[in-house]
Amino acid sequence: MGTDLPTDPGWDALARTARGDTGAFTGLVEAHQERLLRLCERLLGDPEEARDAAQEVFLKAFRKAGEVRPLGQVYTWLYRIAMNLCLNKLRRRKLVRFLRFEADPEEPDAPAFDPPDAAPDPASALEARRRWQATRKAIAKLPDNQRAVLILARFEGLSYRQIAEVLGITEGAVESRLFRAMRRIEAIEGREDAQEKGAPRVSRTEGKR
Amino acid sequence: MNRRMESNLMRLLHGELPSEEARDLRARIERDPALREEYRRLRATWEGLSLPPSAPVPPGFAQRVAVRARTEQAGLSLSLAPGWVRATAAAALVIGAAVGVGVGEIWPLGETKPAAVTQQADPQTLETADAIDGSLAEGYWTAMDELNGGTSETEEALP
Repeated sequence: MGTDLPTDPGWDALARTARGDTGAFTGLVEAHQERLLRLCERLLGDPEEARDAAQEVFLKAFRKAGEVRPLGQVYTWLYRIAMNLCLNKLRRRKLVRFLRFEADPEEPDAPAFDPPDAAPDPASALEARRRWQATRKAIAKLPDNQRAVLILARFEGLSYRQIAEVLGITEGAVESRLFRAMRRIEAIEGREDAQEKGAPRVSRTEGKR
Repeated sequence: MNRRMESNLMRLLHGELPSEEARDLRARIERDPALREEYRRLRATWEGLSLPPSAPVPPGFAQRVAVRARTEQAGLSLSLAPGWVRATAAAALVIGAAVGVGVGEIWPLGETKPAAVTQQADPQTLETADAIDGSLAEGYWTAMDELNGGTSETEEALP
């Protein structure tokens, strides 16, 4: 984790793209489409919207192919574009809700894409689904900057250094945001457990630092 | 617990701590029940986070993106232009149509109707009307040409 190779062949593909080699661009998309779609889906929570976002990420990369400086790995650069795009979409979504006087909805109980059950028995499958729902709800309640760090660390397996590179922040900021995200999730889960058990609601400030 | 220790627990969990430091911290966790409890809680939250596998990549996704990139680069289609370009073009069309309708409505009903207007066959009137319609249409097509980054056929045909 976290070792940047000095020469990522993706930079060469981008250089060739800038010279008009669309085959090189197609190859670049094929190499990164899976992780980009996954990242967009995890950030936006909607496969349909994630497809549009991922397409937009690649089109932006295409437009900038001739300007970008080959530094580090191509996928961290693509991740940075995806992060900015998805976070802007999330902000716009919140603004639209605010302007329509709509309450922030809970994440949908079932994802738009219904994955096949990987668990061996129905009880395990049910438990897996319960955990997915709980995670989606908790992540949806995080501030954008904490959500981004948590997704990159926990689900994309990026190192602090890579996350710092993608988000354009320091490693210290990554560490602090990740820890605050964890605390907040603990608090959210604690609240929900308490609600399920019918206990009095825990203070909203609990768990914040 | 201080902030430094919290950071180290998180680093240990995420595999970010160098092996020497990780070993020392694990030994300390073994010795200290409060630290052990804190680490257990953090780990349970971390490992409890789980998301379903993401949707598969749609077939032909890369090819579609490449085609769109090529089309966009060639500037062949206004429909692929960014939203604001399309919106501006649509607005220009609507305004052009509205002004055109307005001129048609107001002109015959004006109190100080020019005499020439009543004479339908007056060539000067026809020229004036053509000039108005022509300038609107020309303005629209000029705007469209600018958006497409090219020159209009009319311009090319002119000496």
